[in-house]
Amino acid sequence: MKDRTVLHIEDNEYNRKIVRQLLSRTPYRLLEAADGEEGLAVAKRELPDLILMDVQLPKLSGLDATRLLRADPRTANIPLVVVTSFALSGDDRKAMDAGASAYLAKPYSPRDLMALIHRFLPEN
Amino acid sequence: MALLNSPLGAPVRAVAKIRASVHVKLLAGFLLITLLFIAMTAVSLRTFAETARETNLLDQAHERVGWSRQIEHALAMQMHFTSMTLLSQGSDPVSLILRENNRFNDTLARLETAAPAEERALIQAIRGAQDDAMATVADIANAVRDKRLAEAMTVLRTRQEPVYQKIETLVGSLVAAEETRMAKFRASLAATHRQSMRLMAGFAVASVVLALVGGFVISWSFILPVRAAHGFLSDVAAGRFGGTLVVPNRDEFGALAEHMTWMSRELRRLDDEQRVAAATLRGLNDRLALASRAKSEFLANMSHELRTPLNAILGFTEIILDELYGEVPANLREPLVDIQTNGRHLLRLINDVLDLSKIEAGRLELGVGEYSVQEIVEVVHASLRSLAIEKGLAFSVRVAPGIPTAWGDGRRLTQCLLNLAGNALKFTRHGRVDIDVSLADDWLTFRVADTGIGIPKDEVENIFAEFRQVDTTITREYGGTGLGLSITKRLVELHGGRIGVESELGRGSTFFFTVPLHADGGPA
Repeated sequence: MKDRTVLHIEDNEYNRKIVRQLLSRTPYRLLEAADGEEGLAVAKRELPDLILMDVQLPKLSGLDATRLLRADPRTANIPLVVVTSFALSGDDRKAMDAGASAYLAKPYSPRDLMALIHRFLPEN
Repeated sequence: MALLNSPLGAPVRAVAKIRASVHVKLLAGFLLITLLFIAMTAVSLRTFAETARETNLLDQAHERVGWSRQIEHALAMQMHFTSMTLLSQGSDPVSLILRENNRFNDTLARLETAAPAEERALIQAIRGAQDDAMATVADIANAVRDKRLAEAMTVLRTRQEPVYQKIETLVGSLVAAEETRMAKFRASLAATHRQSMRLMAGFAVASVVLALVGGFVISWSFILPVRAAHGFLSDVAAGRFGGTLVVPNRDEFGALAEHMTWMSRELRRLDDEQRVAAATLRGLNDRLALASRAKSEFLANMSHELRTPLNAILGFTEIILDELYGEVPANLREPLVDIQTNGRHLLRLINDVLDLSKIEAGRLELGVGEYSVQEIVEVVHASLRSLAIEKGLAFSVRVAPGIPTAWGDGRRLTQCLLNLAGNALKFTRHGRVDIDVSLADDWLTFRVADTGIGIPKDEVENIFAEFRQVDTTITREYGGTGLGLSITKRLVELHGGRIGVESELGRGSTFFFTVPLHADGGPA
């Protein structure tokens, strides 16, 4: 079951490290990208099963990247979780408007993140 | 201003330009007419005097004619009595002749005194002839007395008669002269009458014309500046400042026009200043709006920048505690939990400060929609139940039955109730915390009652201000940011509601807020 792929797009190395650690004991394959453009390219090339997208990214913002992915028929239906800065600021609505499947407010609990991943990609 | 181009415009302008007060101008106008009447009266009086004088002269001439007739009569009598002397040959008629002679001389003397100079020569001639006549009478009387009758007769015929005829002719000339003079006087008198009539009529017409023209000119010299001022003031009223009110007047109206022009310029100056100030304010306002937007962007960025490392700190702590890196030694578990506790506190602080800045900047908008009061209360209860159990407090919630689905920002109201209930649990050591929600007249009342430490009376007023906890040591003992109540108050107010507290020191507090069942949630 190592074939299911999660793409984590996040510019902060430490946050990428947490997810890496979280997924290390799971069967998911992890792909990483450090900015919006790279994330978009990887997503179109690898067509992952789930995308975790930080909202504020260099080069191309998370929301713009989400919109571009939704516009491409190959990536339009991939589950996509946007990690927002602040759930109360309206980022959540912007994320859903851009086409996100779900959102998670930063700082998130790794447990909550795992729960979300399991929701979209159930193990077994 | 059409009048100023008419023939009367020139005098109107001239009167306006006279450097004198309105009072003086009016007085001068009336005085002019009065002077005309005085002149008319004087001329009339002079005419009356002239008439009287001429009448008098006429009378005198008439008298002189009378006297001339008396002289003629006396002359006739003398001739009669001279003849009588001859006929009666006595001396009685002579005395009568002398009497007539005396009368003649008297009358002649009076005539001479009254007669004009050109008649003097004539009168002298008459006197001379009369003297001749009297000498002849004396000769005749002597001849009669000496009985030389023939001689007397001769004298009478040859000398007396020519003399008397001469006298008669002379007197006749005198009478004729006087009558001519009388005729002249009558003509003169008539002329004087005619002249006085013409003068009177002339004065009357002049007075009327002068009164009409003077009144017209003076009144228009006042009306025109008033009309000009009227138009000028209409301009000012319409906001067209800075004009010049031009009037030819150099009287009070001229001064008034100058003042009005000055006023209008002053208004223009103030208007300009005000416009400049408004423009400056607009510019300032734009810059402020720009600054405010920049601040909001800064806050949004800050929010993300602060959360990203905090996410890492809390995330690592959690996965360490969850033993994703292997078993955690017992002595490290407590400091790791301390890191987690402090990280979460830092997160609350960041959230509260950001919330408050947004509210302060008026940029916090409510995400209004339908919400369930029951759900809010349940979420708050679920979030805080473990804390209540931990502290050994009774924690109950009660929602009045039959509350319909409400309209507002459910998440923000959850935040509010969470703040109040969290505070209540924090500040209560023994007893209970109760949440109660009721509906009355389409207003929802959320009530959180505790049996905690209570709030001193003098602190109740300040309890909703930022960073106001009753004692700063409380922050350390109980945690919290000191911003929760302030944010809650503003969020409630954004809903159009009101927040309040009833407290008794040592017995407990009841915090409550009311919001409309249907809140618009427009920006505050």
